Parts: sequence; structure tokens; C-alpha cells
Amino acid sequence: MNDLRIIDMEKRYKSAQPREENSFMLRPVRLAIREGEFFSLLGPSGCGKTTLLKLVAGLLEADGGEVWVGDENLTNVPPESRRFAMVFQQSLLFPHKTIEDNVAFGLKMQKVGKQQRLKAAHGMLEHVGLSGFGSRFPDDLSGGQQQRVALARALVANPRVLLMDEPFSALDPGLRVEMRELLSRIQKEFRVTVLFVTHDRDEAFALSDRIGVMGEGKLQQVGSARELYERPETTTVASFLGLRNILGGVIENGHFASTDQLIQAAVNRPLANGDYFMIIRPEALKTVESDQLGQVRIKGIVQELKYGRGMYSLKVKAGHQLMECMLTISQAEKIAVGEPIDLFVDMKEVWFLKK
Amino acid sequence: MWRKSKPYLLLLPATAAIILLFFGGIFDGLLKSFGYFPAIGQTELNLAAYDRLLSSEAFWESLTLTLRVAALSSLLSAIIGALVAIALFFLNDAMKTTSPKAWHRLFQLPLTIPHLVAGYIIVLLFMQSGFVSRILAAIGWIDDIADFPVLVNDPFGWGIIFTYAWKEAPFVALMLYPVLSRIHGSWREVSRVFGAGNWQFIREVVMPVMMPAWTVATFIVFVFTFSAFEVPYLLGVTYPSVLPVYSYQLYTSGTLADRPEALAVNMILAAITILLGLVAYYFSKRWNVLKGWG
Repeated sequence: MNDLRIIDMEKRYKSAQPREENSFMLRPVRLAIREGEFFSLLGPSGCGKTTLLKLVAGLLEADGGEVWVGDENLTNVPPESRRFAMVFQQSLLFPHKTIEDNVAFGLKMQKVGKQQRLKAAHGMLEHVGLSGFGSRFPDDLSGGQQQRVALARALVANPRVLLMDEPFSALDPGLRVEMRELLSRIQKEFRVTVLFVTHDRDEAFALSDRIGVMGEGKLQQVGSARELYERPETTTVASFLGLRNILGGVIENGHFASTDQLIQAAVNRPLANGDYFMIIRPEALKTVESDQLGQVRIKGIVQELKYGRGMYSLKVKAGHQLMECMLTISQAEKIAVGEPIDLFVDMKEVWFLKK
Repeated sequence: MWRKSKPYLLLLPATAAIILLFFGGIFDGLLKSFGYFPAIGQTELNLAAYDRLLSSEAFWESLTLTLRVAALSSLLSAIIGALVAIALFFLNDAMKTTSPKAWHRLFQLPLTIPHLVAGYIIVLLFMQSGFVSRILAAIGWIDDIADFPVLVNDPFGWGIIFTYAWKEAPFVALMLYPVLSRIHGSWREVSRVFGAGNWQFIREVVMPVMMPAWTVATFIVFVFTFSAFEVPYLLGVTYPSVLPVYSYQLYTSGTLADRPEALAVNMILAAITILLGLVAYYFSKRWNVLKGWG
């Protein structure tokens, strides 16, 4: 098995001011990515995900740790000999080379004969839907097409690992979705191991087998999209994934009471006494009472009602807390900003996090 | 009307001076090369000067020497200049601190020195009783300073070539560096990930990118060295001399009868330069592959 294993990789950047010893650092990361897996590193800008990617590629020198593929230690192998491929935020095609020469670049570096590498390049261009573009120059192509060429260039040399650094973030939204589908299809077809860096939750959720959420120079949590969203391990992960309804409180004898007395409810899971965060997904908040048991009412004032893609997003001020939830159009019709509202929490859908 | 013609009128003095001095000079030279010389009573136009020139051995030897010196100095400065530019490019890549600045300044230094001074520096360094020769003699590499090869005022023109190589290499580097600095820093990363080492990166990316600017810079050096006077005058030998010096020798030989020939030499120089310019233009047009990149 050619798994990609990252063992305690770390990187420290010296700050310009001598007083702060390290202005930024990537704390040791330990990660194993299975062969053929699509793994995303998700996190806000500046969290160290691109640094980690470049460490894996060998473009940055690590201050510690190792990279392995299968049973081969690549830590001290220069990037040009790792047989990895990379797609960057910009396509970074060589403007003086034709599209087919750009795609065949990696093969040329591997000393593959001209006929053979051009044949492979044409085949790969067909896969990304650009057959017939081979003799053009990068300038003649649109941004989306250029990024497809970059993808073809990365895949043509049959890399052991494909590294992608926010490859679609410079594209417009429609194109981004299209590229996601293309990438997903091609990745499954070639069974290539992908390490994908993004700050876009939807992108990571749509593409990945597993996701590693990064924050503050640290790998916070690894899991499938659903695991991360429904069972975040820290409030950092929760809030990055868009879970902003986080209430601090105490559980005592199976009973949760929030610090601001907004919610008091029975906990439906056996949890030890102590300080907890209660995380309520926006979907778990409803405006109408259903006949199910285990619902808790929160009273509040409507602060904001915004329309977005077929749903309304609602912000309700309840005590000092701002709660977010999603409403259908018909539910939103009866609601106006500034008016009181009752929200109902389905206690089966909430998640408790030990402080 | 006034508003439209104003810029032209404002440009008139400068334009007039350029036309008068440049084209006037050429025209006058052309006339005189055809034997038009009212001062000695010659008003007929003929090709006698060209005829005499083209059948003289001295002219052909001079032309050969001029072409050889110009070709070798432009080739040498092109190679050194490119190496310097590439070195500075990688230096910039390797250390992102202030130190590359000092290196840039060092390589800009020769640009500030006049050609004549550069010529003297080469004389002082490389003549048989010069600095280099005496150092080599002192450390015992050569027994006597007379063993040092004749590099200055030599018939081959090494002294001239050295001077131009030293003086023009930074010029070539200066022309190339901005082109190289347009090379995306990330291209290095891309090519490394796809398996290119330093040398392959230079061959696949750096060389093709700098080729057009390189050719133009080399051509400029060639044309300049081809028609420059002071360095060959200082560092050359009396015979054979390069064309500009040959022309000067003819012009100041004492007999007015030689003057049409002297000017004919200049006309031939100008014609060859224009021809080379057209050739270079033709080639630069073919490199429009690089349009709009960066």
C-alpha cells in the first residue's frame, strides 16, 4: 500500500521582531492518508495548511518530522525526485510553451520520448475536456481552461500524490462547481491520492473522503464531513464549520443549564457532570413546535432575516446570545425583524462538548 | 488648428536639430564619399572612392578585424552577461534579504565608467608591463614580464575584446535581469514538483524566456562595438585597424584626396549597421510567441 504518511511535521518561522520568538508556527502534524483517498485540509487563511502542503511537497524545509509514501522515506528527497504533482491557486502554466508541451512537461523531465509524452498529453487533455487545444498557448485560454490544463499537467505523469493548493479559489462560482465535478470524476477514475487544501467548507465537503480541519497552526480534527459537522471536538472546529450557536453551561445529573439561563433541558446522553458547550446546528432550530417530545423553547427577538439561495437565514437575539437558524420561505413569511419569536431546539440534534 | 499643431511646433526645435545633425551629416558624408568636394574644385559625383576602397587590401583586412572584434566581444559579453543575470536571479531567490542589492550594485559599476577609462584600465592591467603581468611574475607563474602574452595593442584585438566584454556584459545583464525577474517565483516550484532540477529549469524556462531580450541586447552590443572608435583607437595596432579607426586614419592622413575614401568607409559602416538592424528586426518579429505574458 502506498499510503502517504506525515509524521510530526513541523515548521517555525522566525519573526522579524526579535522579541516574539516565533511569529508563526506549524505544530507537529501526524496524518495518514490512504492510497486513492481524497483528503482535504480545511481551515482559514494563515492557519498553516499551505505550509503543510509545501512541506509535504518538499518545497519548504521542515524543522522536524518525516514524510513517507508506502515504505519509502521521502523526508530528505528533493521535490523534483518525489514524483508528486501539484496544482496551485493560479494555473502557473509556462507562457512560452504550447498547451501540449505544458502538459507533457513532467514527462519530459522524466526523459519520456517526445511522441510518447505528446500522446499521453493529448489523452489527458481529452480527459479534462480540452482535446484540440494542444497547439494553443496558455494566453489563448480562459482561467477555467488554464486550470484544467494545470490539472492535466499534474495527472499525466501518474504522480504518487497529487497536491492541490486552493486550485479553484480564483475561479467564479459556477466554474468552481464544474471544476469540482471534473476533479471528483477524474480522481475516482485514476485512483490518485489527493491532498487538497481549501478554505471553502462546501468545496471540502463536496469532494473529500476525509477532512482535516486546521486552525492556529494545528491540525484540530480529522474525520468525514458528517462526523466533523455533527460531532466537532472543539469550538474552533465548530465555529469554522459554521456552527455559531454555541452555549456555555453546566451539566449536572443529566441536566444542562446554560450560563445565561437561556436553556435548561434534560440531556439525552449519559454525560459526566461538568462544564460543557452545547452546540446547536442551525438546522436543529425550528420556529414551529412539532408534536415530538424533547423540544426546548428559546424566546428571542428577530434581529436579521436574510434571503439566500431558496432559504432564509435568521438571526435571533436570545439573552446575550445570537442564535442562527435556517427557515424555508413559507416559514419566513410570518416573521418580521424586531418582533419576538419562539425557537424550538430538538435536543436529539444537539451536541455537547466538554470544556 | 493651433491646438492640433501645437505639440508639433513645440517638438520642432528638437526635431530640426536631430534632422540637421543626423541626416545632414549623413547626407554630407554621402555626397563627399561620391567625390563631391567643392573646396578642391570637385563637383562631379562618381564611385571612385568606393572602387579604390573595395579593391584595397587594407580595407578588407580592416573589415575582417572589425567583424571579428565585434562578434567576439558581443558573444563574450552576451555569455558573461547572461551568466551574471541568471546568477543574480538565483541569488535573489536564495536570499530574500538586503544582500542581493549590494551584488546588483557591484555589477552595475562598469556601466558608470566611460569606455575610454575602461580602455585605460585594461591597458594598465593587461599590458606586458601591466599589473597582472607583474603579479604573475612576482608569484613565479611566468619567469619574466616579457613572457606575458601580448593582449593589449595586439593585432588580433584581444585588448579591445576584453574591454568590451568587461564593459558590455553588465549592460547585457541589465537588459536581461528585468525579463528574468518577471519569471514567476512559483514557476520554480512548479518545475521542481514536476521533476526539473536547476539546470533543466534554466534550459526549459529561463533560457526561452530571456532569449528575445538576449538577442536584442547582443545585437546592440554588436552594432556598438562594430562602429565604436575610442577603445580600438587606444587598444588596437596601427595596422590592421578597425573600420572607424581606419576611416579616421584616412581622413587625417594629410591629403584631401583620401577624404572621400574615409567617408566611404563610414557609409559602408552605416549600411552594414542598417542591414543588421533589419535582420534583427525580422527575427524579433518572429518571437511574438511571448506576447502578453506575465
